[in-house]
Amino acid sequence: MKKVRENRNLIFTKAFESAEDNYIPDLDIPSSNLDDIIPKNLLRDNLPIPDVPEVEIVRHYTDLSQINYGVDSGIYPLGSCTMKYNPKINEKIVKLPGFSIIHPLQKKNEGAILLMEELSQLLHKITGMDAFTFSPAAGAHGELTGMFILKKFFEQNGNQKNKIIVPDSAHGTNPASAKMAGFSIIELNSNEHGEIPLEELEFAMQEGDVAGIMLTNPNTLGLFDRNILKITEIVHKYDGLCYYDGANLNPMLGICRPGDMGFDILHLNLHKTFSTPHGGGGPGSGPVGIKEGLIQFLPEPYFIGNEKIDKEKINISHSIGKMKSFWGNFGILVRAYAYIRALGKNGLSRVGKVSVLNANYLRKRLQEFYHLPYQRICQHEFVLSDKNFPNKITAEDIAKRILDYGIYAPTVYFPLIVDGALMIEPTETESKEALDYFAETMIRIYQETQNKPEFVHKAPHNTPVGRLDAVLAARKPVLKE
Amino acid sequence: MDFIPHDKKVIKEILNTIGVESIDALFSDIPNEIKIDKLEIDDGLFESDLYNEMHKLSLKNGLYSSSFLGAGCYYHYIPSSVESILSRSEFYTSYTPYQAEASQGNLQAIYEYQTLITRLTEMDISNASMYDGSTALAEAALISTVITRNNRILILEGLHPEYLEVLKTYCWAQDIELEFCTEEEIANKINDDYASLIFQNPNFFGEIEDTGKLINQARNKTSKPLIIECMTDPTCLGILKPPGAYDIDIFVAEGQSFGIPPSFGGPGLGIYTTKKKYLRKTPGRLVGKTKELYGDKIGYILTLQTREQHIRREKAISNICTNEALMALASLIYLVSLGSKGLKKVAYNNIQKSNYVKRKIDKLNNFSVLNQKPTYNEFLIKSPNIDRFLDLCEQDNLLAPLKISIYYPEMENTALVCITEENSIEDIQLFLENAQKCV
Repeated sequence: MKKVRENRNLIFTKAFESAEDNYIPDLDIPSSNLDDIIPKNLLRDNLPIPDVPEVEIVRHYTDLSQINYGVDSGIYPLGSCTMKYNPKINEKIVKLPGFSIIHPLQKKNEGAILLMEELSQLLHKITGMDAFTFSPAAGAHGELTGMFILKKFFEQNGNQKNKIIVPDSAHGTNPASAKMAGFSIIELNSNEHGEIPLEELEFAMQEGDVAGIMLTNPNTLGLFDRNILKITEIVHKYDGLCYYDGANLNPMLGICRPGDMGFDILHLNLHKTFSTPHGGGGPGSGPVGIKEGLIQFLPEPYFIGNEKIDKEKINISHSIGKMKSFWGNFGILVRAYAYIRALGKNGLSRVGKVSVLNANYLRKRLQEFYHLPYQRICQHEFVLSDKNFPNKITAEDIAKRILDYGIYAPTVYFPLIVDGALMIEPTETESKEALDYFAETMIRIYQETQNKPEFVHKAPHNTPVGRLDAVLAARKPVLKE
Repeated sequence: MDFIPHDKKVIKEILNTIGVESIDALFSDIPNEIKIDKLEIDDGLFESDLYNEMHKLSLKNGLYSSSFLGAGCYYHYIPSSVESILSRSEFYTSYTPYQAEASQGNLQAIYEYQTLITRLTEMDISNASMYDGSTALAEAALISTVITRNNRILILEGLHPEYLEVLKTYCWAQDIELEFCTEEEIANKINDDYASLIFQNPNFFGEIEDTGKLINQARNKTSKPLIIECMTDPTCLGILKPPGAYDIDIFVAEGQSFGIPPSFGGPGLGIYTTKKKYLRKTPGRLVGKTKELYGDKIGYILTLQTREQHIRREKAISNICTNEALMALASLIYLVSLGSKGLKKVAYNNIQKSNYVKRKIDKLNNFSVLNQKPTYNEFLIKSPNIDRFLDLCEQDNLLAPLKISIYYPEMENTALVCITEENSIEDIQLFLENAQKCV
């Protein structure tokens, strides 16, 4: 990363009036007067976008890339984001013309359909779900799809259940998605172990108007809910459905399956668990998988992953409709499919195991310096808190200081049930050397909080810009030049 | 392959530090009855085998010398600079830029994207992207119901059928009523009870709407409903008057035409723009300009996050989290690479080439063009011999126009033709010769 602290110009300052268009040839057919084709009042007067020479564009964005941190730059321990290495072969495969320049409405699409069918079969084996839709473009979009399916299910059964239980440790997208599907939210407080309190769950379900529960397991504390089978049993006992948020599926690969935990619907984040690159915030892909009994509600298009199901007998007369135009984020599906094929059964099982191994290693190394609110073996991630920090140092201060050591910071202030949370997920692709560097950096920063708190409080010092004023940005929003 | 760097010795060291005997001991919280021995899938592959197999699979999809198919996904030339910059792994392997100080590249680029999109559309605000055009439209529709507290939406005919299906799904869940009208019916139908009027321009059949006229019809009756415009191929903005020149409240578009390969329909890019007064009712990420807390340097940061799900949970304006940041970057580089001159030329060539073919086909016996209004790069043709014509195109390795009965069963013998700057004179001649054979 370039660390030069200077104000960078925007691309707009690099425009030259004389810059030529190098890309689009002149018209090679007889032209008509434009006014004869389109009335003049529908044409624009000016087009205020800059004309910049190609070399300036390439240098500008190369410079910007050098002040940006990616997984290829180093460890990226953002909790619940599963920032694992993105294999290069997948980028090569997705650029094959037979994947990249095919049209969603072309008839000769056998390869694309086959890929999605096989992906659904693989995901069936991995998750225990029977059928999938690949329409959702991201995890939250998958949640919304799942909530729509839930809603349709109860609507068809003539049952007006209109509430969804979401634990207080859930991702913010869960309640937001349920709300968008027209549900109201019952927030369930986690117990002292960070798990679902069974009595309160049963009490809420007894009311009779609860459609189901949205659950992340392992949860956002990185803890596997030991009562998972009882939880799904209770929800089912009162005719509710169980939704699995797949954001934290990575540590479960080859260990256990959400379908066997009793979940009826799930979404996967292919851009987390299945290594497709995040792109600085997308594109992602959030396929939704369901058990056989819910197939009739799936959006189109959908794919049956369980080969034991007779496709001829399927009727989706109660489909929720469409969630996105065409087939979904196909380019992401190609990468995820290639990843699963590359790793195979042994590779995927190692992913689950080593992701948990690495997280516990960091937990163990850091817990004597940082407050660990839930003292337990964790799964793929764990949460520290800024409680007990000397000299009013906050989680944000720690995160900013980590950047000074040339690596990225954990997720901060999430989950909300831990004050001043630092949520750490190393993933399986980090070497011991990378883990040690992170641990030693954290320990060194702990010492700095004692010795030079003011310095930590004003971090970062070595990044391309110093700590930015978030309050100013929100108070006087400047969203364009 | 598993991309895991540890060997057995390292694993042993790590287990010793943790203080457990085996990795399995780390999974003691999981009930035994749900643990599995192994996954029932095949063994992994070496990279070369994987590549060769994927290559073969890709060849099962048709590749064409030229395309006459559009309908929401378009073939436009992509400057090499786009792919080159998108291959910078500092961009494509980064996460949503939560730590702004280590993500300035991404944040500045998105700020430039927001700026460029507002210049192109002349709207006040652009967000940092949505999933695609169809979901951007659905979210715009939901927001119109929040702003107006009405739950009826009027839709002008000519909306992309897939967008309509997505809109129906989103609106069903919130009991929002959708009603449909023709241009002539707008004035009679619309009133204060509607949340919005939605129209697509150019519409699904390729026709350029007279936006000013449409808006007058609505606004003469009521100022309450929002006017929402949607677009599937915004290259037309190189020449057409932009939405911001009219009284459009929310303008959404599919940005795939801006430097993103078709990729079987995804990932694309949802462009979402609106008026300043709706800033706090805007879904998705927004990047703002700010300065250092302890210095004077300028920097960029995700802002106004109190609209968003991770702060507001169920009270958020939308559930969107991950969007299409890399695709926004692609469109930014596409637009600055072409520049005003290039984009104008793209739009001009699309109009000229498409209308040239339209005129030629309209003159053929047994063929007619159905559009009454001016068209951009798509138009509707009808012929009793349409199937033969489409077959002949496929035989010549041309990706044939869309037979529109897949969306509108009642519209028989009709196809939607798309011609862009990518169709050469030779492709066009071959296409016309095939039509000539079907008169």
